[in-house]
Amino acid sequence: MGLVILLAVVVLAGAVLSVQAAINGRLGETVGVLRSSLLTFAVGAVVTGLLILFFEPAQAVSLLEVPKWQLTGALFGVVYMMVMVGAVPVVGTAVATVAVIVGQLGMGMLIDNFGWLGNPAIGLSSSRMLAMVCLAVALVFMYRSSQRTG
Amino acid sequence: MQTLDEGLVAAPVKCSALRLLLLPLVILAGMGLSVEAGLLGPLGEQVGHLWATLSIFGVGSAILFLLLLFAGPRKGPALTELPRWQLIGGFLGPIYVVVLTLATPHIGIAMTMIAILSGQVGKSVLIDHFGWFGATRKKVNGERWLALGLIVVALVLIARG
Repeated sequence: MGLVILLAVVVLAGAVLSVQAAINGRLGETVGVLRSSLLTFAVGAVVTGLLILFFEPAQAVSLLEVPKWQLTGALFGVVYMMVMVGAVPVVGTAVATVAVIVGQLGMGMLIDNFGWLGNPAIGLSSSRMLAMVCLAVALVFMYRSSQRTG
Repeated sequence: MQTLDEGLVAAPVKCSALRLLLLPLVILAGMGLSVEAGLLGPLGEQVGHLWATLSIFGVGSAILFLLLLFAGPRKGPALTELPRWQLIGGFLGPIYVVVLTLATPHIGIAMTMIAILSGQVGKSVLIDHFGWFGATRKKVNGERWLALGLIVVALVLIARG
């Protein structure tokens, strides 16, 4: 039951992310991608900082004590943004989207399966494989419908 | 962070060699997103989910600030001249990152990504269909409903383990 609730929360987060992308897309058109991203990240940092001050319980380990490679996550996000800015006008949105998802899921399955980066190892079960197949077919449908509507 | 649908609309340029060169780069960028999620989960377990989120937004802001200062465009409208609602994107980002750090240790990175994706697809299909948030109401064709159905099936398969 806990798993179902967690999944529902993650699905909702996807919807929220999509709303954010829509808002930022409009902002990026007028002020440029760098400025709109900086605004998003800066406001995000301020909001998170406030939440930490008032709601976060004290932790045994601080950010300064963990191995430095664990703090490099943001770099991947920034590199992703730069690549997309350069590549989307050339390859098109639909192809870029599918390529990103292929990379995400492929790498996600590798990390899960081998437990890389300190994650718990989750083996590739038959239902997980089947879920991947469903998603691949779903992507084909989405791609075809976006081709038709232009 | 990933932004899959809106905001990236541009007409493809016909240049096959460049396209073939860029495609692996885009796939690599996608792999980077999973690495980011993979780093976040264990980090959140150690230092707390909000601290892990702050590391993403703090480091991201710092890098983007330096990039903008030294490599960005000098001209452009000031943020203070824009409608305020366009500036609220930053409030939504932390929700996504906190959920990532919460979920990945329990359901794994690949499955978290599928769930995120289904939220994105579902939201855009529903917004188009019902015309929410002032979007022009347009008929959503059968193929997109089918795609959404398949993604839900994928989620059910994951939930069953």
